[in-house]
Amino acid sequence: MPGLLSSPVYLTVVWFLSWSLLPSCAQIWTDEVSDVQYGRLESNVTLACGKSQIRTPVVWHLNHSSALPWHKVTSDGALVLLHVDHSAQGNYSCYDNDGLLLHSVKLRLGRPPGLLSISCQVPNYTHVRCSWVESVKTFLPAKYNASFRGNGQMWAPCVLDIVRKRCDIDHPAFWQAMHTLRITETNALGSETTYGQFRLHELLKPNPPESVLVKEIEGYPKRLNVFWNIPSSWPQHDAFPLLFQIRYRPQGSIYWSEIYSEESPAIIFDALAGHVHQVQVRARDEVNSESQWSEWTPLLLVRPWQVYTTPDPAEAFLPEERDPDYYFPITPKPETSTPKSHNPVPDDKGNLGLVILLVLFSVVILTTILSLIFVVWVKQRRHDHMTKQELTSMVKMKTMPI
Amino acid sequence: PPVLLDSSSSLLFSLLLAQLPVLTSASPVPQRRPSDLDKLSNQTKNLMKLTQELLREHAFDSDVEPHRFRSLPEMSNRSANDLNNLELKPTLSQLHADLKLYEHHFEWLNKVSKKHHHPAVPKLVEVIREMKSLINLLHRQMLKVEAPRLTPATPSLPPHLPYQFDVLQSSHELLQHFKLFCDWAYRAFISLKPKVTAVQ
Repeated sequence: MPGLLSSPVYLTVVWFLSWSLLPSCAQIWTDEVSDVQYGRLESNVTLACGKSQIRTPVVWHLNHSSALPWHKVTSDGALVLLHVDHSAQGNYSCYDNDGLLLHSVKLRLGRPPGLLSISCQVPNYTHVRCSWVESVKTFLPAKYNASFRGNGQMWAPCVLDIVRKRCDIDHPAFWQAMHTLRITETNALGSETTYGQFRLHELLKPNPPESVLVKEIEGYPKRLNVFWNIPSSWPQHDAFPLLFQIRYRPQGSIYWSEIYSEESPAIIFDALAGHVHQVQVRARDEVNSESQWSEWTPLLLVRPWQVYTTPDPAEAFLPEERDPDYYFPITPKPETSTPKSHNPVPDDKGNLGLVILLVLFSVVILTTILSLIFVVWVKQRRHDHMTKQELTSMVKMKTMPI
Repeated sequence: PPVLLDSSSSLLFSLLLAQLPVLTSASPVPQRRPSDLDKLSNQTKNLMKLTQELLREHAFDSDVEPHRFRSLPEMSNRSANDLNNLELKPTLSQLHADLKLYEHHFEWLNKVSKKHHHPAVPKLVEVIREMKSLINLLHRQMLKVEAPRLTPATPSLPPHLPYQFDVLQSSHELLQHFKLFCDWAYRAFISLKPKVTAVQ
């Protein structure tokens, strides 16, 4: 026998039995300690006093107190709670006449799931995030199952984040007319499936441009240079060009001016000299005109370059208190910025072109003047030659015998 | 001699005049000739614009997709990531085959719309014309890079559309599908541009 006890076969059998029996014991204990019954709010809920039919009268307690909500007890000892509200939730126990505990149950009240209100955000072509709001407050823990598909495609899972009530789809088949999201919410009282249909092309809305910066252009009192980066969530690929809109206005004005650009930087040519300007940028997919514009970037305040040297502390731009997003890219110009620095730097191709054109024009003018001088000289020479000939012929005529 | 003088002045004036077009054409920024892929992408964008106009003006918006056309080019297998790894020749061949298929569908739609005296017919004719022009451009490009021509798929078209409503619904489905195809094709042409330069 000791030999049998120590044999590997015996040990394996013991291990298997202990492994297979332990969880079931735990389950039984859990059921005994916290048997939960779910009931629907504003309805009648019946709590049975154990599984067997009890003939003797029983006494019900709620949270160890004999005070119970509106109820009745049936002949078989079941407690019927009438038109329950949240106050009826708690631990219910039934006892026999001798005060012996027959059964206890925890009552949780709520509602079955209702339809969900689903919305999806599409910040680029590779990611869709859908979130939902419950139309019915269930008060009960729920499980969700979400899947997504394009027209005629197979359902693919939408990766859930239950805490934030949202799910994510990576690399959807974007070029489809319609996509469907299916979410099933299940709780102890029931289950409901909601279908949401979306046109991803119309929902596409990039995040706002990033690292926006507005700079004055030295020597140009009516110009501003606006720089930005494309949103980091947008693919850095030629196939996904963005269109940018820049709006600006002198501080205090209600009218915005707008320019469009396909790349950074963009130059504002008609700023109001000497005035602080508000500048904002937003982005949209350049190809898909049905997509949405991003939100505007936070307001930037900047003043165009001006002939001004003395820094005045009172001039420091203070943020408007109603908008905490103001950002000040201006650094006060050092005093070395003197008014004589009017040498316009040809900072773009347009200016270079102008210079070339001017040089060409000067060459033409010079050629014309030289040609004219030449013509006048030739004319003068001919005239002299003619006068000489006339004189000679006159002399000849005089010397001729009549 | 005054005649001679006059002629030399006029010669000078003519010379100056002759310089004028040279001056005006001497743009400071030399115009870059559009590449073949530029032409293809521009023509695709033009087609997309026409399709959008047609959708706006004539088709009606419906959330119910009728699925009348079973043989339209498959778009469910095209994702944004694919645009990063397109190969020149197979993509050109595939786009050509897709466009030929759309051409068949649009010609069918045009025929049906004519029968029902649909007001969109003139614009539909324009779309077909521009589509043919894009197909020709694309074919020329395929010959240049020696891309093979794929055997066109046989279109399966709805047999009979008895009511104006069916025509509208079919028109919406086809235009919607084609608009998305143009969007994809435009991006594909942009992505292929550096690859064509590498081949040539």
